[in-house]
Amino acid sequence: MIPSPEGRPEETDLELINRWKAGDSRAATRLVGRHSQALARFAASAGEREGIEELVQDTFVRAFASLDSFRGESTLRTWLFTIERRLMLDRRRSERRSRETVPVEESDHVSEYGALDGLIAEEAQERVRKSLDALSPTQREVFTLRVQQGLSYKEIAEVLGSTEGAARVHYHNAIKTVKEFLKDE
Amino acid sequence: MNKCIDSDIQEMLPDLLHRTLADDARQRVEAHVATCESCQEDLDVLRMVKSAAVFAPSIDVDRVVRQLPPYQKIMPAIERPASTRVVSWLVAASLALVVLGGGSVLMIQSKDSRASNPAGYSQVPNQVATGGQATKLSPVESVVVSRPLDKSVAAHPRALALAADVDGLSDGNLMQLMNDMDGFDALPASEPEPVISVDSGDSL
Repeated sequence: MIPSPEGRPEETDLELINRWKAGDSRAATRLVGRHSQALARFAASAGEREGIEELVQDTFVRAFASLDSFRGESTLRTWLFTIERRLMLDRRRSERRSRETVPVEESDHVSEYGALDGLIAEEAQERVRKSLDALSPTQREVFTLRVQQGLSYKEIAEVLGSTEGAARVHYHNAIKTVKEFLKDE
Repeated sequence: MNKCIDSDIQEMLPDLLHRTLADDARQRVEAHVATCESCQEDLDVLRMVKSAAVFAPSIDVDRVVRQLPPYQKIMPAIERPASTRVVSWLVAASLALVVLGGGSVLMIQSKDSRASNPAGYSQVPNQVATGGQATKLSPVESVVVSRPLDKSVAAHPRALALAADVDGLSDGNLMQLMNDMDGFDALPASEPEPVISVDSGDSL
């Protein structure tokens, strides 16, 4: 148990998982509520513009369908990020294939991307988003997982299927690029 | 502004932001940042990036939960150890060998028996002592009727002599056989030629 902000003990992810396995559906609600926004932020910062809610939902469906394979060796959030990242890669592959056959129409640009942009009220935040767009996909993933999600290099390596050393290098290159981009703006 | 050369501190800046550092590490990083302009600038950038992350669509938790599959315990397949599997294969192979070998032997035996005794006759040793001499018989002659002899066969003394089992002979046949045996010569009719040594005179 970990203490909640209200002072009462907060159940750990593993305890909630065991409760859900025992048939308590409220445990699933607690787990989804605890991690869904982090998954949505990770998807948004990784460059996803459409269908983030569906992506988060698919992530939870996949995770709950194979919860027995979760051993608790990493945190549940790291495991969820790993699943979500695979789904994003699959989605990008299929989108690439469809782009090869279906011509992009002008109306395609009017979508959630515009709605999301509308949410970015402050100029500084817009600049940050642009600076993240200047990173390579791997740099962006490492940087957002480290800075926005607070994952350790070890956890980032697990999510990316890479090494801690590689994650460190990507982080240092990313922060250098972001700093230069924000200086030039 | 000088670039910070303490890479350990730089790497811990995100942890400072997320308050995940232990007390002693946090105090060390905070003391360093207070005097390092480069790290202060990095920390400002990190704060900006972290705050920019809030712009993601809010997720309808209940909707997600409704889509979740019911819990089904995955029963892992029972994996037998490799040694057990090897033993099982060896036993199976041995059994197959025994069945095949036994079947082959039985087939060969039945084939031989059919080839040498097509009418179902019994076989007797193909040598019969006759008057102190071993007479080699052909396979055809060695075949003897096991059923009671009829008159034409009984009249032939040689056929009687070849009978292996005298239990099937009638009293008359036995008497005839005995009379024939009386007529047999006890000694060979011919004697071996004497060997005459020739003195060649070489010994002188």
